Amino acid sequence: MAFSDEMRDAAYYHYSPSYKYSLGIELVDEKKAMKNHTNFRYTYLLNRKNTQNSQRNLYFQSSLSVGGNDEYSYGFLGDWETRRYFIGFGAQELKSNLRNYDKQYVQIGFAPYLGDYGNLHSWLMIKSKHDSRTNKWNTYPVIKFFKGDYLLEFGVDENDELDIHFMIRF
Amino acid sequence: MRYLLFSILIFPSFALAEAVMHTDHSNHSAHHSHEGHLHTQLVDGAEIKLDAERFDKFVADQSGSQIAVISVSGMVCDFCARGIEKTFQKDTGFRKIDVDLANGKVLLAYAATKKIVKKDIEQKILSNGQTVTDIQILTAQ
Repeated sequence: MAFSDEMRDAAYYHYSPSYKYSLGIELVDEKKAMKNHTNFRYTYLLNRKNTQNSQRNLYFQSSLSVGGNDEYSYGFLGDWETRRYFIGFGAQELKSNLRNYDKQYVQIGFAPYLGDYGNLHSWLMIKSKHDSRTNKWNTYPVIKFFKGDYLLEFGVDENDELDIHFMIRF
Repeated sequence: MRYLLFSILIFPSFALAEAVMHTDHSNHSAHHSHEGHLHTQLVDGAEIKLDAERFDKFVADQSGSQIAVISVSGMVCDFCARGIEKTFQKDTGFRKIDVDLANGKVLLAYAATKKIVKKDIEQKILSNGQTVTDIQILTAQ
């Protein structure tokens, strides 16, 4: 998965030995601090509820950086989705020997049409995220496409900063 | 700048929406000829609901194959369901798969000689994050 916004560019590779957890390595370029570091991430599924028409998830996520700042993080991610609607949230606490900060986001969306398996699927979303370093909420539209093994999520905020996720399923 | 980018991205989305709705309408007509769903009565008296047109298309080239009809909950996303296909493709005797997101069904075609273990199918679906609620094995005519 690749990610880019005004604070960082990141590439994340993860492996899920089981649906319960995944282990990953994240290569991060902190744009404002002008430094690179590597995070090891661990994500654990705390709770999942499958129904005929929906899925709900709650994850614990943590990371440990080996970039020199002794940064580590922990937090929670959650989502609920049907084929038509999506609601997601996340909260993360990040600590290092330089500073501590936290990040949160909420995201809601809907699919304007319901594609069949193998079709191009599209989502229109609104994302709002907060970073205690800038101490402001940033709300902006996001559009998500996926087809086959490829997923692209693309958002642009009021400062024309991009928020991009690109994912390939191997 | 951002409005231009979004216009470029959103336009194909709505164009596709219109195309899909048109397709749905065509399918709707076809469903009428099949009375919406095929109800297959099994030897043990159980009944399974299937999209008739979809099932017929799936088994058209599978004469003699065993067909596993799997009811799955939590299968709400195409991208997430991809893992199911990848997992079963590795099975010996695997021939074909179809994922019906709208009805929460997975159809698997296996060679007639394949010993199908329902527990194994359940475990594979679960490992992808979804839950199996029912499995029926049919033989394609």
